[in-house]
Amino acid sequence: MNNRSSMNKPLNDEAGSIQLPRQTQSRYILGEVYSIRQLTPSIKEYTIKLEEEINPNPGQFAMLWIPNIGEIPLSFADYSTGTVKFIICRVGFVTTYIHRNILVGSRVFLRGPLGNGFTLCSLKNCLLIGGGYGLAPLYYLGRILAMNNCRLKTLLGFKNSSDVFYVSEFSEISDTYISTEDGEEGFKGTVVDMVRKILAEETFDIVYVCGREQMLMKVVKECSAKGMKTEASLERIIKCGVGLCGSCSVEPLGLRVCRDGPVFDGRLLLKLEDPLKNNREEICIKN
Amino acid sequence: MYKELKNLDYFCKMGFPEDLSIDLATSISKLSLRNPTILASGILGSSCSLLKRIEDAGAGALTTKTITKNPREGYVNPVFVDLGYGYLNAIGLRNPGADNFSKELSKAKKNIQIPIITSIGGSSIEEFMYVAERMLESGSDALEINLSCPHVEGYGLDIGSDIKLTQQIIKQLKSISSKPLFAKISLHQSRIDILEKYIDAGLDGISAINTVKALAINIKALSPILSNIVGGLSGPCIKPIALAVVYEIYREFPDIPIIGVGGIQSPEDAVEMILVGASAVGIGSAIVRKDLEIFREITRGIGKFMLENGFKSIRELIGYIHRR
Ligand SMILES: Cc1cc2nc3c(=O)[nH]c(=O)nc-3n(C[C@H](O)[C@H](O)[C@H](O)COP(=O)(O)OP(=O)(O)OC[C@H]3O[C@@H](n4cnc5c(N)ncnc54)[C@H](O)[C@@H]3O)c2cc1C
Ligand SMILES: Cc1cc2nc3c(=O)[nH]c(=O)nc-3n(C[C@H](O)[C@H](O)[C@H](O)COP(=O)(O)O)c2cc1C
Ligand code: FES
Repeated sequence: MNNRSSMNKPLNDEAGSIQLPRQTQSRYILGEVYSIRQLTPSIKEYTIKLEEEINPNPGQFAMLWIPNIGEIPLSFADYSTGTVKFIICRVGFVTTYIHRNILVGSRVFLRGPLGNGFTLCSLKNCLLIGGGYGLAPLYYLGRILAMNNCRLKTLLGFKNSSDVFYVSEFSEISDTYISTEDGEEGFKGTVVDMVRKILAEETFDIVYVCGREQMLMKVVKECSAKGMKTEASLERIIKCGVGLCGSCSVEPLGLRVCRDGPVFDGRLLLKLEDPLKNNREEICIKN
Repeated sequence: MYKELKNLDYFCKMGFPEDLSIDLATSISKLSLRNPTILASGILGSSCSLLKRIEDAGAGALTTKTITKNPREGYVNPVFVDLGYGYLNAIGLRNPGADNFSKELSKAKKNIQIPIITSIGGSSIEEFMYVAERMLESGSDALEINLSCPHVEGYGLDIGSDIKLTQQIIKQLKSISSKPLFAKISLHQSRIDILEKYIDAGLDGISAINTVKALAINIKALSPILSNIVGGLSGPCIKPIALAVVYEIYREFPDIPIIGVGGIQSPEDAVEMILVGASAVGIGSAIVRKDLEIFREITRGIGKFMLENGFKSIRELIGYIHRR
């Protein structure tokens, strides 16, 4: 998955950051599951071939519709010429159905890309921080940033060694480190502990975070205190997906995850009073 | 990336400071609006912070999500379809319930200066009364009874189809408060003889129209799209229907203020709605394509239209085509 024509060339502008035109669309596009990989006991990767090109920006999401079952938001874990990858963690009704019943050759429907993704940049020093299925948007982002000649360091946090995935994928594009809470693999501790250690020695032009909200908020605080720019991807319950119904509001700011986000500037998130007790890796169902 | 958190210039220079002779202010019953744009019910109206953002975006008044006595999760996804020519939704009256929302409303009343109309839903007189009392306690400037949501059994259209019950609801609500009481109706209730009964019962104004009952199929999936199968149609394709409903209500009841809702996506659409008789316009689905800038765009565009066509006050435009 590496030829995204509009993204191949290193992109350069004065500030070194690029804001792509916001492309969204909310008609359903038919897709067929091309391959499935079991990454951990509760996480699978689905590669889906779409009927048409959609060109998402890293950090944007899609609504995946399984007729008669439901529709869920998923971040683009990768995209290239009509082929999309999703990393799906089994947490409840729809994701369990997908894990059990969506097979190679199954038809699914997708509306997207939706929302606003990460700010892309070139020739910068970037830090990617993720946990659990929060790795998904970071991988696609990392691949594009690497193409844009950014220097990447990636810190991935997992509960224990059976939860570890995508390390070789990230290692191809970035200087990658992992942590596990039991210390069976990589750094012993949480990803936040690892971030603290790294930040004591290095600074970055921009830090991208995706994962559980408590983790994400801690990282944003640490980085902001050191004056680093951060961007984080948030989750709320998505219903309409287009900014109309208010279901996904981040309180008390009134920011819509589906439309103003899911990626937000860390400075905005510092104003969050009460981060949602959020999932990402924690609510994954273990076999 | 979301950059601009808030546009803080409160009155947002949205009139025409260079030409103060243009008056964009309007009124519906006892409510005075700085301009004729109103956030339609069910659109981003479920928290104080969202309502505040719409005020900052330039709206003249706000309608909340329809509030029921108990919290409602609404239907499972998919609840929204983009048809290209319009939108279909069956959110299922997802709302935090009267007790929770009354706290949001109290907060909103402290932070927001433009009028807030609370949309109330119920499946019985008791439920309407309970919700209305909570909302009035929290400072709601007006109430709008939802007689027209087309996709929730026992609510909305099911209530609005029972003329006697609706009359009683209106009478009882009027007996507890002197705040303006509006009814949100759909195409299905636009019969003049029915509306006359509601007006006689004490109704102060009419919001027309709600979404039109509709269904969408995806043939590649061989399946309806909405989990609820049927939903409500909104957006550009219902504008001509809304215009006809507003036209007839104004023709029969020129003294009853009308909030014209349905398919308004541009200043031109808003002007059309005002010309057929609306005192203000409700804006909903247009946010999908134009986001919150739509409020300012419409207000500015109406002002420009008035300037170019020699109108000084929006009141001259209301129902203009009936006086040709
Ligand atoms: C922008 C965005 C991007 C996402 N990207 C991915 C991704 O790449 N991979 C992935 O596996 N998941 C992702 N998710 C989360 C995923 O959408 C949910 O896990 C999924 O909708 C759950 O559906 P379900 O029917 O299996 O669970 P349900 O049966 O609906 O719920 C199970 C539990 O999860 C909670 N829950 C469900 N959805 C959310 C949510 N959005 N936020 C917080 N809690 C929730 C419920 O409250 C409940 O406790 C993303 C969510 C958002 C908003
Ligand atoms: C997502 C959505 C939710 C809605 N929820 C409500 C509601 O709770 N109560 C109500 O009276 N109308 C509701 N409506 C109807 C709108 O208020 C409005 O009447 C209708 O959408 C037509 O206007 P529009 O074409 O500008 O969207 C909803 C509409 C949409 C699209
Ligand atoms: S899901 Fe409806 S506004 Fe975001």
